[in-house]
Amino acid sequence: MTGGRGRVDALVDDGQAPPLDGPVSRRWFLNRMAWVSSAAAAGTLFARAPGVASPSGPVVTEEAFGGVVRLQDVGDLTELTLSESMTLIRNGALRPTDLVEAYLDRIEAYQDVYQAFAARLDRQTAMERAERIPAGGPDAPLRGIALAPKDNFYTADMLTEGGSLVFEGFQPDYDATAISLFRAAGGVIVGKAQMGNLAGGRARRYGTTIPTTRNAWTPNHEGYSPGGSSSGTGTAVAARLAVAGIGTQTGGSVLGPGNAQGLTTIKPTFGRISLHGVIPLSYTRDHVGPMARNALDAAIILQVLAQPDPLDPRTLGLPKPPNYALAATPFGGDRPRVRWPTRVGIWPGYLSSDDERTNGLRRALVDELDRNPSVTLVPDVTLPDEFEALSGDPLGGSHGDPTAFFIEHLRRDVRLFADRLPRFLNGMLQSADTYVKVQQARQLLLQRMVTQLFNQCDVALTPSTGAFDGTGLPLMGFPIGFDTDEETGRRVPRGATLGAAPFGEERLLAVVAAYQAVTDFHRARPEDPA
Amino acid sequence: MQVPQTPPSPTDDELDRYIRTRYALLGIDISVLPVSDDEAPMDQERLLENGRSILRAEVEAANFHIDPQHHLPQPFPAPFTAWTDEEGA
Repeated sequence: MTGGRGRVDALVDDGQAPPLDGPVSRRWFLNRMAWVSSAAAAGTLFARAPGVASPSGPVVTEEAFGGVVRLQDVGDLTELTLSESMTLIRNGALRPTDLVEAYLDRIEAYQDVYQAFAARLDRQTAMERAERIPAGGPDAPLRGIALAPKDNFYTADMLTEGGSLVFEGFQPDYDATAISLFRAAGGVIVGKAQMGNLAGGRARRYGTTIPTTRNAWTPNHEGYSPGGSSSGTGTAVAARLAVAGIGTQTGGSVLGPGNAQGLTTIKPTFGRISLHGVIPLSYTRDHVGPMARNALDAAIILQVLAQPDPLDPRTLGLPKPPNYALAATPFGGDRPRVRWPTRVGIWPGYLSSDDERTNGLRRALVDELDRNPSVTLVPDVTLPDEFEALSGDPLGGSHGDPTAFFIEHLRRDVRLFADRLPRFLNGMLQSADTYVKVQQARQLLLQRMVTQLFNQCDVALTPSTGAFDGTGLPLMGFPIGFDTDEETGRRVPRGATLGAAPFGEERLLAVVAAYQAVTDFHRARPEDPA
Repeated sequence: MQVPQTPPSPTDDELDRYIRTRYALLGIDISVLPVSDDEAPMDQERLLENGRSILRAEVEAANFHIDPQHHLPQPFPAPFTAWTDEEGA
C-alpha cells in the first residue's frame, strides 16, 4: 500500500511544513472512534444548550490580511474581498460602519430583485451593531464584515425558517455555534439567506414549487437556477449583498450554488465546523461550508469557524486546525506555484462529458494546472473497487436520518413538507439492517477512496460531489470560466469540483489559490439588475 | 419437511397497503394530500410510487455483501479512518 507519512514527507518542498492530509496517526482515530461510540450510546450527541464556543488566542494569522488595495482605488466598497476589507479596517483606512452601510445600501436597492434573504436586520439595528464593534485586535478579524448565513442556522435575533412551512415563524432563543463565532469575531449578520425547502433544491416560496431567489448572473430570469440548497447565500455573495457567507451541504448544497454563481466554496472534512444550532437533515452527512469570492476568503471563514465545540462532539478530538490562510496564499513570487508538490487526479470521463463546452472549460483548467511546476497530472485515475455500488443508491444515501428528526412535524401535517415529503417519510420504510449496511458501505468506500484513489493522487477533479459528501471528505468549488446559457442567452459562470483525502483542506486551498493567482474568473462580478 | 421457497415479489397494491399501514401505525395521515394532482407540490400517487421504489431498493441493499469482520459500520468515517502506512488502514 502507498500513501501516508512517508509519501507526504517525500512531497515536502522548500522547507514548507507538510499539509495535514498525511501525518495523522491511525491509533488516534481508533481511540477517537471508541469515545464517540460511547458518547452516542449515552445520548449526548445532541445537546440543546446555547452555543457558547469561543476560540482562544488569535483567530486568523497574518496571512489573512494579505489583501492589499488602496481605498482610493475602490469605487464601491462592496467590490472589496473579505481579506481586503479586513486589511483596510485593521489599518484604520476603513470604518466598520462604512462597510456595513455600503452593504445595507445594496441590499435595500436589490433585495426585491434577487430575493436572496428570508429575514434581514433593519438598518438602524445593523448600524448600531456596527458602531458597537470594538476597536478589536487579532481576536476580532471580521469587524464590520457583512455575512449572509443560510436560514437553517439558528439566530436569536432573526427568524430561522429553513425555507419551509415546517419552521415558519420559528424564532430560536440562541445562536448556532457558527453564528456565535462570527459575532465574536466582529462580523455582522445582515440577514438570513433563503434556501431550498429543508435543505433540498433551490429556494422557493414556502410550501410551493414557485422559485424565489434569482441567480445573481440572471436576475431577470426566474427559470435559471441559483443552485441549491444554499441558494440565497450564493446569490448574496455573488451579487455583493454580503462579503461572504456559510451554507450547509448534505449532497452538493454548498458547491452547487457556488459553482452556479462564480464563487469559491469549501466543504471541509466532516466535523471540522460545528453543526450545533443548525436545522439537521442528516446527522452523518451534514457539513457547514464557507461561500466566498476567492480561496483566501474561503480560508479565512474556515479558520474562524474550525473550532472544537463542546456542544457538537463530532468536532472534538480532531487534529488542531492548521493555518488555512497560509495555504491559500499565493506562493512562489512571480511564478505562483502550489505550495506543496501535488498530484492532481482527473476523474474518468471528466474531459469527455456529453457537453462539449463543459469539456472545453475543463480542458483549459487542466492545461493551466499542468503549467504549474508543482503539479503532476494523473489522467483517468482508477476509481475504487465497486465505486458505483458503494456511492450510489441505495447504499450511498443518508437513509432514515431526516425521518428521525421530523416525526413530530410529519404527524402535525405532511403538507408542510410540500415536494420534499418523500425524503422525510422514506426512513420509515427502510430497515435497520439497511441502515447498518449503509454505514458499512460508507466505511468501506472511505477506506477505498483513501487507499485506492488517494494513493494515485493528492486531490482529484471530479464531476460530482456524492462520494465525498457521504464519506465526509473535503471538497472545493471554484470558477473556471463562462458559458452562454441557451435559454436566457446570458453569460453565466461555470465551476469545477476538487476533492481531497481527510483533512486535505490545505491542499485544496493551495491548488485553488495557485490557479486563481494566474486566472481572473473569480474576480468577475455580475452586472447590477437594470 | 417443507422446503423454503422464495416468496413471489409483492405487487404494487400490496406494497401500497404496507406503506399506508406503516404511516398510520406512526400516526401520520397522508389522506390530506390530493390523490393525484400533478399541479400540487405532492400527491398520494407520487408518494406511494416513491415508497415502493424505496422498499424494492431494500432488496438490493440486502443482497450487497460487506464483510462484517473487516468493515464495521461507521456513521462518520472521514475523521475516524486512517491513511497511514499501517496494515489495514
